[in-house]
Amino acid sequence: MLALYTAATGMAAQELAVQVISNNIANMSTTGYKRQRAEFQDLLYEHRTQIGTQTSNQGNILPVGVELGSGVKTVGTPRLMTQGSLAQTTNSLDVAIQGIGFFKILLPDGTFAYTRDGSFNLDSQGRIVTAAGNVVQPGITLPANASSITINQQGQISVTVPGSTTPTLVGTFTLTRFLNEAGLQAIGSNLLVETPAAGPPQDGQPNLDGYGSLLQGNLEQANVDAVTEITNLITAQRAYEMNSKVITATDQMLQTNVNLSH
Amino acid sequence: MQNASLIALSRQIALSRQIDVVANNVANVTTNGFKSDNTMFQEYLMPGARANHFRGRDNVLSYVQDRATWQDFRQGPLQQTGNPLDVAVDGSGFIAIQTPQGERYTRNGAMQINAAGELVTSEGYQVLSDTGPIVLQAQDNSISINPQGTISVHGGTGTISIIRGQLRVVDFAQPQRLQKDSGSGFSAPADMQPTPAANVRIVQGAVEQSNVHGVTEMSHLIEVNRNYTLIANIIQNASDLRKSAIQQLADVPAA
Repeated sequence: MLALYTAATGMAAQELAVQVISNNIANMSTTGYKRQRAEFQDLLYEHRTQIGTQTSNQGNILPVGVELGSGVKTVGTPRLMTQGSLAQTTNSLDVAIQGIGFFKILLPDGTFAYTRDGSFNLDSQGRIVTAAGNVVQPGITLPANASSITINQQGQISVTVPGSTTPTLVGTFTLTRFLNEAGLQAIGSNLLVETPAAGPPQDGQPNLDGYGSLLQGNLEQANVDAVTEITNLITAQRAYEMNSKVITATDQMLQTNVNLSH
Repeated sequence: MQNASLIALSRQIALSRQIDVVANNVANVTTNGFKSDNTMFQEYLMPGARANHFRGRDNVLSYVQDRATWQDFRQGPLQQTGNPLDVAVDGSGFIAIQTPQGERYTRNGAMQINAAGELVTSEGYQVLSDTGPIVLQAQDNSISINPQGTISVHGGTGTISIIRGQLRVVDFAQPQRLQKDSGSGFSAPADMQPTPAANVRIVQGAVEQSNVHGVTEMSHLIEVNRNYTLIANIIQNASDLRKSAIQQLADVPAA
């Protein structure tokens, strides 16, 4: 009976759904995290009687056929790039993006990664770096004696140096966007890297040409909604249970067959 | 004597087909846009004996044959996702997509954008408008899709909305003739052309869930399982009957 294998694909799919949900819940308070969801599609069909077959010489045709499906498959776990809510902090180097775009980060191996996590710090040379110490592009160095850092919506960073009353502009953040943001590949540590599916990276200025604006003293929270995740978890668990019932029932039917031969 | 077993067997084969259908429905209980299948059985009559010189009528034997599976096109519940690229079709209609095998029609409106800016399904197949694929430009943002399926965006920093295309939502005269293809898509026979859907509403930020009812499927499952056991008992009884007949009839009493 096909049912055993069909139900097995269902159980495997729900197991994967729970895995995705658990990762979302685990990252509920990860800055800049974007939730994923598991997407399923039905598998191939076996057409036992083809729809539209002639049933008589007078040209009568079958209005419906016998179609037996073979289960479910996972097509993807796309990331949902909706805006997370902003949480105010007191750190002047915390920056949140409101709208489209990613911060561009230089990795130690010379390649670039992209993130929505704007909790930045200064390293020993006064450069703006991520929590892991990677330089935020385009490498901005603050003067050693700088105080009161201001970042405006356009991403311009101004500092006040002793002996001057007017703030000095020291650099501007760039944002990078992709046509298909869901096509970026996650590499952990809040970082995403480009793939052929995402399209080429396009650098631009914040708050210009559709890029998002920056908000100093704020961090973007994960866009995970606890209620949605728990609802999805319940759905997945019940679906798993139902599939296991199908396996039990099929097993019992096969058992019936075995008992017949006694 | 044989007939009882054969009739029971025809029912068992039909039941095992039915559990295959139930299993596929249950496996797809969380597949977006999935439409559940149902089985339809019919009686297959066969005359018992051909000899006409018996008095009284022939007993006609009735076997079971699985005639068809039919699709339940009822609306599935809409789940709010808040994702601007999720659309659900409210009403009778399908979204046209382009696959390598030709045009397909789906109720699964979880769309993505590919590297070329085209609207695609999760499998990467282009979502169609009346004039081909719908292409978004690099600077496009705040995508909004109205109930008629028209996709408008804001280009760059502009506040004027630009129309990028309209989803091609179609309907069919006889939706039961649509054939299920894998990937939540349906294919239409050559002699049934899609017509523009009337009275449908596109809902942005929502997906249509599978219309499989867990409870219904579970009760089908119990029904099939119990029936199967019942039929097996009939086969067992018929066999026992035959066994005892052979034993008793052939029993030559000791002189």
